[in-house]
Amino acid sequence: MSGVLAFQLYNWHFFFQQLVGGVTAGSLYALIALGYTMVYGVLKLLNFAHGDVYMVGVYIGWFVLNALGSPTDPVLPLVPLLLVAFAASMLGCGVLGVAIERFAYRPLRNAPRIAPLITAIGISFFLEQTAVLLWGANPREYNAFSLHNGELFGFVNVGNFGIEYVQLFVIVATVVLMIGLSLFVWRTRTGKAMRAISFDREAASMMGIDVDFVIAVTFLIGSALAGAAGVMTGLISPTGSLNPYMGFGAGLKAFTAAVVGGIGNIVGAVLGGLFIGIVETFTVAYFSSQFSDLILFSLLVIFMLIRSTGFRGTAVLQKV
Amino acid sequence: MSENGSDRKPLLELRELSISFGGLKVIDRLDLHVNEHEIVSVIGPNGAGKTTVFNLITGVFEPDVGDILLEGESLIGLSPHKVTQRGVARTFQTLRLFLNMTVKENVMAAQYGRTKATLLEQMLRLPRARREERRMNEVAEEKLGFFGERLMGYRWNQPAYSLSYANRRRLEIARATATQPRILLLDEPAAGMNPVETHEITELIGKLRDEGGYTILLIEHDMHVVEGISDRVVALDHGVKISEGTFDSVATDPRVVEAYLGTSAAVTK
Amino acid sequence: MSTETPPPAPGSAKPATSPQIGADEWVQRSGERTTGPGGLFGYASRTAGRTPAFVLLLVFVGVACAIPLLTSNGYVIGVDADTMLYVLLAMGLNVAVGWAGLLDLGYIAFYGFAAYLYAELSSGHYDIHWPTWQSVPLVIAATILLGFVLGSPSLRLSGDYLAIVTLFFLEIFNNFTTNGYAWNWLGLGATHDITGGPTGITNVDPFRIFGRVLDNRPTDYVWVAAAGFTVIAVLFHYVNRSRTGRAWRALRDDPLAAEMMGMPVKWLMLLAFAVGAGVAGFAGAMNGAYYQGVFPDTFTFPLLITIYAMVVLGGVGSLGGVVLGAVVINVLLEVLRTPDHARWIFYAALLIGVLVKVRPWRLLAAVLGGLVVFGVVVNQIVGETWARGVAGPIAVGPTSFTKNGFFATLIRHWQVLPGNTYEANDYRIGNYAFVVAIVLVLACTVVKGWKRWTLLVPTIWVAAFAWENVLIEQAPTTRPLFLGVVLIVLMAARPAGLFGQNRVEIV
Repeated sequence: MSGVLAFQLYNWHFFFQQLVGGVTAGSLYALIALGYTMVYGVLKLLNFAHGDVYMVGVYIGWFVLNALGSPTDPVLPLVPLLLVAFAASMLGCGVLGVAIERFAYRPLRNAPRIAPLITAIGISFFLEQTAVLLWGANPREYNAFSLHNGELFGFVNVGNFGIEYVQLFVIVATVVLMIGLSLFVWRTRTGKAMRAISFDREAASMMGIDVDFVIAVTFLIGSALAGAAGVMTGLISPTGSLNPYMGFGAGLKAFTAAVVGGIGNIVGAVLGGLFIGIVETFTVAYFSSQFSDLILFSLLVIFMLIRSTGFRGTAVLQKV
Repeated sequence: MSENGSDRKPLLELRELSISFGGLKVIDRLDLHVNEHEIVSVIGPNGAGKTTVFNLITGVFEPDVGDILLEGESLIGLSPHKVTQRGVARTFQTLRLFLNMTVKENVMAAQYGRTKATLLEQMLRLPRARREERRMNEVAEEKLGFFGERLMGYRWNQPAYSLSYANRRRLEIARATATQPRILLLDEPAAGMNPVETHEITELIGKLRDEGGYTILLIEHDMHVVEGISDRVVALDHGVKISEGTFDSVATDPRVVEAYLGTSAAVTK
Repeated sequence: MSTETPPPAPGSAKPATSPQIGADEWVQRSGERTTGPGGLFGYASRTAGRTPAFVLLLVFVGVACAIPLLTSNGYVIGVDADTMLYVLLAMGLNVAVGWAGLLDLGYIAFYGFAAYLYAELSSGHYDIHWPTWQSVPLVIAATILLGFVLGSPSLRLSGDYLAIVTLFFLEIFNNFTTNGYAWNWLGLGATHDITGGPTGITNVDPFRIFGRVLDNRPTDYVWVAAAGFTVIAVLFHYVNRSRTGRAWRALRDDPLAAEMMGMPVKWLMLLAFAVGAGVAGFAGAMNGAYYQGVFPDTFTFPLLITIYAMVVLGGVGSLGGVVLGAVVINVLLEVLRTPDHARWIFYAALLIGVLVKVRPWRLLAAVLGGLVVFGVVVNQIVGETWARGVAGPIAVGPTSFTKNGFFATLIRHWQVLPGNTYEANDYRIGNYAFVVAIVLVLACTVVKGWKRWTLLVPTIWVAAFAWENVLIEQAPTTRPLFLGVVLIVLMAARPAGLFGQNRVEIV
């Protein structure tokens, strides 16, 4: 095995391929992490169900692609087809996120901390099993390769190396969404309100901020981003990798990405996501695909123990 | 007023104590001592570093420079529960009771450091555990009884959150005394109290010293309390000791007046 | 002179529904003391509160042990043994989560570790066959040690972060057990089969106590579990009333204040993990011996959530509560396996829910009556327009259906049971109805007044439709679904659980 490792270390092509793959996967983690970090920043709630909202996004995209013809024989050309899939997924997930907040988390705003966490886990179970009911537990795929003769998977050449269109698309889309979100949080009134609520919810409500509305918007945006990430995941995933339980692991890693980057911090969440995506891809490529989760989680445990305020987080002073 | 023999070693001594947070020097070369059976008050405007002194003594923070000695032995580097076991107990500016436990349990819990039964002994209710449990019960009732009828009888089994504000303050003091301390650090015990309650608290602190035999270091803003009870007063401003002595001498010290009221007031006085 | 705010006149105050800082509870609740929760539940809980603990213990253990003597139905005794295992796990989890307030989402890793360790020591895997009196104490000790190790993050992290890290430990454990059949250390050296991989380790030895091999499964293990339970229940009962128990509760309320009052908080946190792990250690060894095999997909996150549901339902922190919670949840989960029995639960729950929530009597009668009429009417309409729509049978077993029987006849005339759904495995109509039912339920919580009660009728009907046509058949889906719903509803209605205390938290 070490011989193979040695060969791979010197194979730059392979390295670049993995790097791009890692950045792509990391971008998806980043998008999901943004939802976690925003909700945690505003509500101090670990939204366990967020990973499953992402999973629903994956399935909505699948549904759209199969409703408008089929992957091998779609009714629309590529770009409109993808637009419809994204719109449906982002809208659907956004509404789902808002509904979850409205019905499950809002009554628990002043309950002990454990209550919303347990509820979130309950919702996670609920979403997973509903997905099993509706779409079956068998693994599925988008079969995106068939879409318009694999147009998505054509290569853009960078010197000697190539990036697939779809990978480029994912990376660019993530950057655009991150910039958009940053602008929203730092420049708009609602964004300011979000930040105010994250510091002191009661005081914010006394300053005339409609807390319920702003929190709903937070969930809407976070879930919509997860929906977008879902569709993109479907596009790049190989056969048989989409199943109702995929949200759990992805959600776990994405939340850690949010912590690694500093909870409540948007750029940090993206950096954290990229970090985890790259580490994961390289671990699979160079060490072992079976134990990649084990290695990754071990690294994350160590990281969280050493630096639980993350890359760009701020330590919270407690008045004694 | 108790005797203050300068030939006796102080019970608690702070020497050249300094600590900075970030770039801000919060305590700057503070020298402070408290003799046995004394009541010393620390006063100063907000932000002077008074609570930080308490945090340093109890081991929440470690000082950059300087030493803290209890009966001649250093407390630096000890974790807070060890400091308490050595004999330092405190109350908090913002009350920090165990709200979901009953009144009596709050006081019994504080005796943890004075008991020795191991986990196994507790699980099997071996004699030592039973004995200690009985003792803790007695001590709790005794300490609570110090406050008259307010924390007695049916109140023992009420959850702490159901007590009124003044009673919660009293409970916190009772809890602190249950750790069998040598010195009590009281952080603004009269905060938020009306004049009647303030008067009661002042008498109570005196009673703690006279009947309970405790040495007391007190942070307080209410000058009625400070005047009524202190043997000695120390004034801090921006982490520096600016005056020390009897209440009258400190209260009229121009530096103290300036710290509280501004320069022109000092000049006028 | 009194310094308290004048208390409300006794008896005139409504019993407080949540704790309030500064409100004299004894006085406020005086009304409650004369008129507590009424009816059967009130009587039961007051009697239970007055009964000395050891009597409750005897009753419980007595019932658990009586079952194998009263019946020879292997399935029922198996459920008894399983329930006892869950009870042990719930008690163990309660130490860290309930008493010390530390969120441990990795508890099942202790359970699995113990089971696997026992399997390694007493099975054909390495062909080591340690005698029980050696392997079990070692397993327990090793698990306690693991408890100290895995509990160490609690010294640096708190709350949600601690939860995530402990969950990582569980995932690491899972990954290891599933893939541990080809383990080599960083690519050097030989490959070892440590955990047997996805198929686990089989041929694990049963317990051997005093020369007797305990291979009369499940009955023998009911005794083992009952013995273990008695010991642990007694130890925990005493520890809860001791200085350590108080210290844990203090640490849960305010770790900083606890430290300041002389309690070694760091040590106490580790101890909480370790004690809970010890219980899991015993349960794990028993698991290995009872099932005579250990498998990676036993010790997973869904099992953890099941235990959490038990602890939360019973009341976090209450020893008796979590025992009860474990029994209730496990029994319900078992009953949900068989459609015929599961049906009872669904309709009973529906009925109880309606009875409790819909008052006064006239409204209740109207709703129930309207429900019956609605169902029959719809049934008739569908029957006229689409014959196949009412032709289906009801499910009574995993693959058996019937159109006969009292219950079946009732349902067939009240509900719409499209034919050719079960038989052809075509559940689409039921699935969509399920989603519609969820939307309707949510809508019911939003609208108020008469609109809510009118909406309630079709909501219940559609829910029953989804139940009869889909859910009742699909046990592997319905069981986790049930758990999820229990958790959601429980947290919304009664976060303290059945026997927990309503807590005050300074956020």
